[in-house]
Amino acid sequence: MVAMPRFQPSPDALRRVQASRSVDRRTFLRAAGLAGLGLGAPSLLSACGTPAAKQTASSCRSTDLSAQEKTLHFSNWPLYIDEEKVTQNGKKVTVFPSLQNFEKQSGIKVDYVTDVNDNSEFFGVVRNQLADCQPTGRDIMVLTDWMAARMVDLGWLQKLDKSKLPNVEANLVSTLKSPTWDKERSYSVPWQSGLTGIAYNAKLTKEVKSFDELLTRSDLKGKISLLSEMHDTMLFMLLLVGADPEDFTDDEFGQAIDRLQKATDAGQVRAFTGNEYAQDLAKGNIVACEAWSGDIIQLQFDNPDIKFVAPEEGLALWSDNMLVPNKSSHKTNAEDLMNFYYDPENAATLAAWVNYICPVDGAKEAMTKIDKSLVDNELIFPTSELLSNAKDFMGLDQRTEQKYQKQFATVIGA
Amino acid sequence: MSIAQAGVTTEGLTGPEPAPPVRRRSKAGYLLLLPGMLWLVVFFLVPTIQLMATSLYDPNGSLETGYTMTGSISNYWTALSTFQAPFLRSLLYAGIATLLALLLAYPLAYAIAFKAGRWKNAMLVLVIAPFFTSFLVRTLAWKSILSDNGFIVSTLKDLHVLPPDGRLLATSVAVITGLTYNFVPFMVLPLYASLEKIDLRLVEASKDLYADGFTSFRKVTLPLSMPGLVAGTLLTFIPAAGDYINAELLGTPQQYMIGNVIDNLFLVQLDYPIAASCSVILMLAIVAMVLVYVRRAGTEELL
Amino acid sequence: MSDRDTDQREQHDRTEAGADLTLTSITKRFGAFTAVDDLDLVVEQGRFFALLGPSGCGKTTTLRMVAGLEEPTSGRIEIAGRDISRLKPYKRPVNTVFQSYALFPHLDISENVAFGLRRRGVRDVKRQVGEMLELVELGGYGKRRPAQLSGGQQQRVALARALINRPQVLLLDEPLGALDLKLRRQMQIELKRIQTEVGITFVHVTHDQEEAMTMADTIAVMNQGVIEQMGAPHELYDSPATTFVSNFLGQSNLVRAEVVARDGERVVVDAFGSKLVAPTGRARRTEGKVWVGVRPEKVFLARAGSETGDDSNVLGAGTVSDVSFIGVSTQYLVAMPWGQELTVFEQNSGARDGFRVGDQVDLHWSAAHTFLLDADQDAHAGDESYAAMAGASAS
Repeated sequence: MVAMPRFQPSPDALRRVQASRSVDRRTFLRAAGLAGLGLGAPSLLSACGTPAAKQTASSCRSTDLSAQEKTLHFSNWPLYIDEEKVTQNGKKVTVFPSLQNFEKQSGIKVDYVTDVNDNSEFFGVVRNQLADCQPTGRDIMVLTDWMAARMVDLGWLQKLDKSKLPNVEANLVSTLKSPTWDKERSYSVPWQSGLTGIAYNAKLTKEVKSFDELLTRSDLKGKISLLSEMHDTMLFMLLLVGADPEDFTDDEFGQAIDRLQKATDAGQVRAFTGNEYAQDLAKGNIVACEAWSGDIIQLQFDNPDIKFVAPEEGLALWSDNMLVPNKSSHKTNAEDLMNFYYDPENAATLAAWVNYICPVDGAKEAMTKIDKSLVDNELIFPTSELLSNAKDFMGLDQRTEQKYQKQFATVIGA
Repeated sequence: MSIAQAGVTTEGLTGPEPAPPVRRRSKAGYLLLLPGMLWLVVFFLVPTIQLMATSLYDPNGSLETGYTMTGSISNYWTALSTFQAPFLRSLLYAGIATLLALLLAYPLAYAIAFKAGRWKNAMLVLVIAPFFTSFLVRTLAWKSILSDNGFIVSTLKDLHVLPPDGRLLATSVAVITGLTYNFVPFMVLPLYASLEKIDLRLVEASKDLYADGFTSFRKVTLPLSMPGLVAGTLLTFIPAAGDYINAELLGTPQQYMIGNVIDNLFLVQLDYPIAASCSVILMLAIVAMVLVYVRRAGTEELL
Repeated sequence: MSDRDTDQREQHDRTEAGADLTLTSITKRFGAFTAVDDLDLVVEQGRFFALLGPSGCGKTTTLRMVAGLEEPTSGRIEIAGRDISRLKPYKRPVNTVFQSYALFPHLDISENVAFGLRRRGVRDVKRQVGEMLELVELGGYGKRRPAQLSGGQQQRVALARALINRPQVLLLDEPLGALDLKLRRQMQIELKRIQTEVGITFVHVTHDQEEAMTMADTIAVMNQGVIEQMGAPHELYDSPATTFVSNFLGQSNLVRAEVVARDGERVVVDAFGSKLVAPTGRARRTEGKVWVGVRPEKVFLARAGSETGDDSNVLGAGTVSDVSFIGVSTQYLVAMPWGQELTVFEQNSGARDGFRVGDQVDLHWSAAHTFLLDADQDAHAGDESYAAMAGASAS
């Protein structure tokens, strides 16, 4: 169990928090994604069904034009890269210093778009193209583990050439080297990582040390929330029933579901949420919850009473991963960028601004030159003791994934 | 009392031997129809047919392996039996929200139409003003308004309307409040348009003919505002029944409406056949209810 | 429901015939504007009473106060001795035929006519509605909607809808205003017939003096919120009390004059050197400056100096300045030496000479047809054609 220390926010991080408060666009974009499903798929208009969406290296070949075309289309989440506001020709514009650096070094022009707001919604956007082996117009997209796993499973990603990723080979932290869904890191390179654990408001309740407490303590009844992301929440339920989230059976999953059902039946859980929980926690509508470390760092800038806890049962360590989709014709350019951000100094520049867990060894040392106050922040550079506690969710095939999603939806729904 | 005259006329669909001038007009008629028809085909007909086809795919298929068309009517049964609760909840929430919106909107529209005087335009602008901000921001604002430590909840607790550990957020009350709030303008505007057209001399005539204020309202004002009332309730009920933002932001999965279920089925569970079945059921249910409603409204049985 | 108590309330004072309507010191102000100014009026039971005046004279406001649609600023309104000034419109034993008819567009003709009966919870609605539609000659139109009827038919529905309630007083607000001339004449006769048949007090507001004279037993001429004169149509016509009445009700020639002598029966005046005589009963002023008045159709033209009669008033030395042939009559304008133009209507009986422009003529008329008015009043008050011309030249 590790209680997270208070720390001083960097000015960049503060700006980021303010910007992120404005709108929760996730829901809106999800709606847009739904509309896209209906309109953007005339190819699906066949009363006879749809073909298999699964692709293989032989069924969907991509050509790499990196040698001729020095461009790169990069789809990322908003506020997930170092930004700077500068005045150009009398107008304020946002630039990305580290990216400019990369462009200078590599001669590759990067088209950086923040169009990933929600894993599912983004899946809706690119689904039809990838299922048909069509180009998506993107060379790198950043998606969370479980969605990345789905993409790997569907054969929608290009295999990376390790010889072009020496920095990644050398500096990727060991805990992230072989996730269950991509044992060799053949298709994915982590962009940033984070922890899933427990957050509570110290002003409103005493310390919450474990998921067991969260789900049973009577003073928390109706005042906690869990995440509606199945992998996050079920990982802890599996730990609670004594199963190993990295290797469990259907039966064990069933027990974990029952454990969750028991808590919801008892009225312990107020809501299952996406990232809206942060607002509820800040407002005091809930006093404790399952939480993502990155959100909590941001809340702490405003409200030092908010604490992040690594639960006694264990932690979940997740990553958002850089992926190269099929039919991207700039794979080598993409690999250049991945390699660039695994240079410890570049990694530290990025980490100093975004404040997520930095997946690059050596960045901590590089950070001393950038922002000393962040060097000892355990939510950016966690100790190996903390990370050894971290668990991953077992890789699931699509059928099992769908089955578990259904069971989970039934419990959190009506 | 039809709410909208069909935009398509039978003009031009003349007999087999039309006179020359008629023939010329009929061609022009078809040409004029073309953009509208094209729009309908591309953006309504094609997606609808696709949706219906999807709803009949083999439920054992998956995105990975593809889907075959097996005409699985059983998908509908699965959808109905599994998601009965969210379906009923959607209709119930939308129904209550529509009723509340009507109760709020009628006096407001009435006041704007008859009592506002020179403030009429200003008040209409105020009714539409919320549309200048995003739907999401407005709904999120209700999270603050109804928050556990907010003014409303603490006042209700002081008045013992809510128990000491009670709350509004993450309950049906919050979801229905959100729905009502978000769709009230769709009720006010058609009602206003309808009321504003009423000749006040008719109200005077009814008073002259022994109708007191209430009777006069019931027998003259209300029936004459029926077109607006019907249009307003439809414009409120239909989007409210399919809404999922309010349930997602102000409620919990216990308050999830069918829109949330479809969203989850499509994007998280990747169960396209069942998701499509749910969509088709919702569509058919609403069309059926609207038909019954409009027919009854037309014969004034609603009074 | 409330419909029932309305009925019970109505039972005792609802009578088959109408009742006296009395307005006492009624004033109505809209802000600074006084629409009706201290008005006193008694309408006897069973009368066909017309309130006549130009638009804006306060006649419709008066009617609306009786109906209860406006509240008087001060004063009392009584029907059959009962004060109804502060009663809500739906509690008053009066019904109105509105200028716009105000038929309910969402109800068919039968239900429009039945509206008042249903509100009062009366039984036997169907028979009564049938009879009423027969009375206004619209039997068989019951199932139609108002929009499917012509203007005249709608007007009769509006009448039936009011009459079926057997009000003590029926108020008609310009009921024929929207009809074309021919239909209007026909409806005037029809209305009069119906009033005679049902015997209810009718108060009819109109700006059309012919309509008022055709139908009404009694006319009150209103101007600027007050009643100028009230009486039977022929009294008002033959013996107007003010220049306004003399001009608004028909046409008049008014000549400036001064009283020179008077005895019990006659007043003698001097008008530009001519001695004219008027009966004392028709003199509203018997001393000082006066207007001498005579209706154009009472005047005969004669070649200058050719005719005289003992009891005739004569104004000589006129010159015909305009001749209009109208079929049954001819209208002359005669320019007098003092610059005034007088109007003369001659019947085309064939018995008398015709005249041409430029002919020198004398004007003769019987002393009995002469009236005298206060010279302080505006000679053109109530003269709508003059007002229109003055307005046109002013703008």
